[in-house]
Amino acid sequence: MIARDLAQPYPSVGMDDPALAAVRLMAEQHLPGLVVCEPSGRPTRVLPATQVLRFVIPRYVQDDSTLARVMGERGHERLLSELADRTVRDLVSGDRSVELAVAHPDDSVLELAVIMARTHSPLVGVVEDGRLLGCVTTAQLLDLLLAPR
Amino acid sequence: MAAFAVVVFVLAYALIASERLHRVTVALGGAGLMLAAGVVSFDDAVHSTETGVDWEVVFLLLGMMVIVGVLRQTGVFEYVAIRATKLAGGRPFRVMVMLVVITAVASALLDNVTTVLLVAPVTLLVCQRLGVPPVPFLMAEVFASNIGGTATLIGDPPNIIIASRGGLTFNDFAANLAPVVAVLVVVLLVLCRWMFREAFTFDAERAAEVMALDEREAISDPRLLVKAGAVLVLVLAGFVLGPVIGQPPAVVALLGAGVLVLLSRLSPREYLADVEAPTLVFFAGLFIMVGALIKVGAIDQLARWATEATGGSAQTATFLLLGVSAVLSGVVDNIPYVATMAPLVDSLAADTGNPGSVLWWALALGADLGGNATVIGASANVVMLGIAEKNGYRITFWHFARYGVLVTAVTVLICVPYLYLRYFAFA
Repeated sequence: MIARDLAQPYPSVGMDDPALAAVRLMAEQHLPGLVVCEPSGRPTRVLPATQVLRFVIPRYVQDDSTLARVMGERGHERLLSELADRTVRDLVSGDRSVELAVAHPDDSVLELAVIMARTHSPLVGVVEDGRLLGCVTTAQLLDLLLAPR
Repeated sequence: MAAFAVVVFVLAYALIASERLHRVTVALGGAGLMLAAGVVSFDDAVHSTETGVDWEVVFLLLGMMVIVGVLRQTGVFEYVAIRATKLAGGRPFRVMVMLVVITAVASALLDNVTTVLLVAPVTLLVCQRLGVPPVPFLMAEVFASNIGGTATLIGDPPNIIIASRGGLTFNDFAANLAPVVAVLVVVLLVLCRWMFREAFTFDAERAAEVMALDEREAISDPRLLVKAGAVLVLVLAGFVLGPVIGQPPAVVALLGAGVLVLLSRLSPREYLADVEAPTLVFFAGLFIMVGALIKVGAIDQLARWATEATGGSAQTATFLLLGVSAVLSGVVDNIPYVATMAPLVDSLAADTGNPGSVLWWALALGADLGGNATVIGASANVVMLGIAEKNGYRITFWHFARYGVLVTAVTVLICVPYLYLRYFAFA
């Protein structure tokens, strides 16, 4: 089995899409992240769900997690209000950029696993001629590895 | 050989000041050149307290870094800061008073960078809840940190160098610097009230959000807090009783760190998290470079010039030292500055009489308070700026200097009558 066989359609969003819509898509479909496409349609980056959290949680709370306890049970209530009027570009720009790990359609399962391990990415895009054929997730890969021979 | 040592030192200093290379790289490179050229021998560098690494300074810093590493796991700083904010009723200026006093006191007992790292996140949270701009609060705290750190031997690294070179105890620092520092903190608060007057808008609804914070949640491990608090008190007692028990501060700090590590049962990764190895290595390299200058007689020569320039008058030397230190510490890191000046002041002290060790106090006050003038004057300023920027608040060099120069000028000027009255007029 090669990457082309494993690649499945995967939701993607554009750089200028509203951030809140992207987060809703992730939540509704229980996805670990989304593929982000340039205005030209070329997939270049990943928006991991953890990146959304890094964006909405104030940096000072991330630096001093004691403050999360101090803020109590209602401390999370207005977190997502940070996303109002933001686009996906805001979430993946600068030091927050996570490049899409890319595999060739002919790559083997082991090659896919190596890419995921090296990039710490739960998602690998299978790209041919700049076009996204689909994605392979770590869950899919582990399923395959666990399958009886 | 003397010319070589001076050239290497001046070049290294210029590189440190320009920040073109990392200061640790420069200090190690400079020390390496001094050793390779034979200006100082390996024996001088490692075993001589006069011309080599001052291990007392290095180990005192190491011990305190470990103690702080454990102490910050307890959440006590967050607890105290939020409790104080609530006591202030969420009124912005009162909150600033509380945070400034807490920062000044903490800085006298811990190093300034750690204090800023601990107090800045809580400040950002409180300001966000109060709906007030955090930059004035952060700047007031960093000023308080540099002022408060001046009060004790362990408050600011330059003081540790001064204590070691001048043979001064923890009590000497507390008796000679703490009183004037207490006055300076009050003066700082008055200045802040005026400088940041537009930042104190009170909103009852926002204040209620601060009152909703639960500071008790900050203390995650009360037993660790008790242990760490007890050890800190014992360490401070050890510093105070140092002359009686015959142990230098470095030994007290290392013993305290060892006991705390044993009691806390934390992993090395946790209790060593605050040990800044680059700072310790920087100190070692710096001491070797300064040792080379001493070895070739450059420091003695400078001291002779300084004695001639001051006509051998301790009074002239004191105020010259205070002024020059304040100005230079605003533009260069005060650690290398004091490391260089300490042997010079040592010689100058012998030539001028140095009543009540006044030259050492002038050097400490000038160098520590001068650090407030610009962003690059002290490490705590750089750290605070970094935290502000990470959280979306950019403070420019000139924005900082506008307030920093004023704070430095006023606080240093207040030291003039203090030093004059205490060490000359009523000596």
